[in-house]
Amino acid sequence: MGKIIAVHSYKGGTGKTLLSVNLAATFAKLGKKVCLFDLDFRAPSLFAILKIPTAENWLNDYLNNTCDINKVLIDISSRIPGKGSLFVGLANPSTEAIRDMSAKDRKWEMRALGRLLHLRNALLNDQHFDYIVMDTSPGLQYSSINAIVAADLVAVATTGDRSDVDGTSRMLKELYNLFEKKTGIVLNKVLDSTAKSRRDELYDRVKNVYKVPLLGMVPCFCEVLRAEGNFIFSQDKPDHPFSALLTEMAKKIDANEVK
Amino acid sequence: MSKEQAFGRKPVAILEKIRENLERLNEKIEVMIELQRHDHRESPTPIQDVPLDVMTLLSMPDHLRKTAMTVCRSGRATADEIAQQTCRARAVESAYLNQLVLMGYLKKERKGRKAYFFAERDVEGER
Repeated sequence: MGKIIAVHSYKGGTGKTLLSVNLAATFAKLGKKVCLFDLDFRAPSLFAILKIPTAENWLNDYLNNTCDINKVLIDISSRIPGKGSLFVGLANPSTEAIRDMSAKDRKWEMRALGRLLHLRNALLNDQHFDYIVMDTSPGLQYSSINAIVAADLVAVATTGDRSDVDGTSRMLKELYNLFEKKTGIVLNKVLDSTAKSRRDELYDRVKNVYKVPLLGMVPCFCEVLRAEGNFIFSQDKPDHPFSALLTEMAKKIDANEVK
Repeated sequence: MSKEQAFGRKPVAILEKIRENLERLNEKIEVMIELQRHDHRESPTPIQDVPLDVMTLLSMPDHLRKTAMTVCRSGRATADEIAQQTCRARAVESAYLNQLVLMGYLKKERKGRKAYFFAERDVEGER
């Protein structure tokens, strides 16, 4: 049975999209059948990262109940080496669509949750997908919380920023915990990650402040910043340490090590 | 049903009918107990169509959120099926489910001897 992973964070700019794309690509490289969804309807970005400027149907249409999920999926498996497959579902980046998604009422959001929950049957059970990776908006947005409720595992990207640490620990207690979600922390943009004292300090924070398993500790790589979103590291730079960290993270999730 | 019709039926069928009525009575009593426990004094008239969205789920007390989340995931389920997933007693789940129906978050539909609970969105079906 496949898994749904929601990639979330308290603040913006923590690396959710980078993590989502590379995690999905890594799973595909490991031979899995994977689906990557852009659920950040306020600031869609997967279309740009993956260089797919337009789509016939968007995830917006699926959530609006105007099309089937298979009409939304775009097969980009040819970009991934090996036997795995990678599909994406994009959020509509037009200003009109962003405005439309921001103005939805509670009833629509309730139905959108039903449509997301339905993906478990439609994709995991019927079409035997191994993973659905959902990239979300930061903070307490409807679309993000819907994704969290639908997910089996929440990967929370966080940096060392004081406000991020505070917000993330509050979300762990008051959001993921209330929904009884398995949660794993990804410490991103870590400075001085090779120093033992620094690593110990961060392990200590995960253990005593976040109190959830650590999925991975990702150093602040200048190459990642320099790439300006033009590479999928796990695919274009397979030998880079960032790709190795992602592989380690994917294997940890696949082995069900996040309890 | 006329008396003649009732006596013409097999005793098993009559007993089934009694059991069905007792179950309904039991559910009503459970709702009354639950309402008393939470000091609700208003008349238990269901509120119409309140959306069971994620923000509502977040604001619910823990015991009701667990039940409501399980219904969301199951789509449509009996108190028995919900109890199996939450590992709580059927009578407890039945009381919580009926409370969620009274609050307008869930709908209840009876089919034969079974009562099914679901959130309103499922009525329209999934594409």
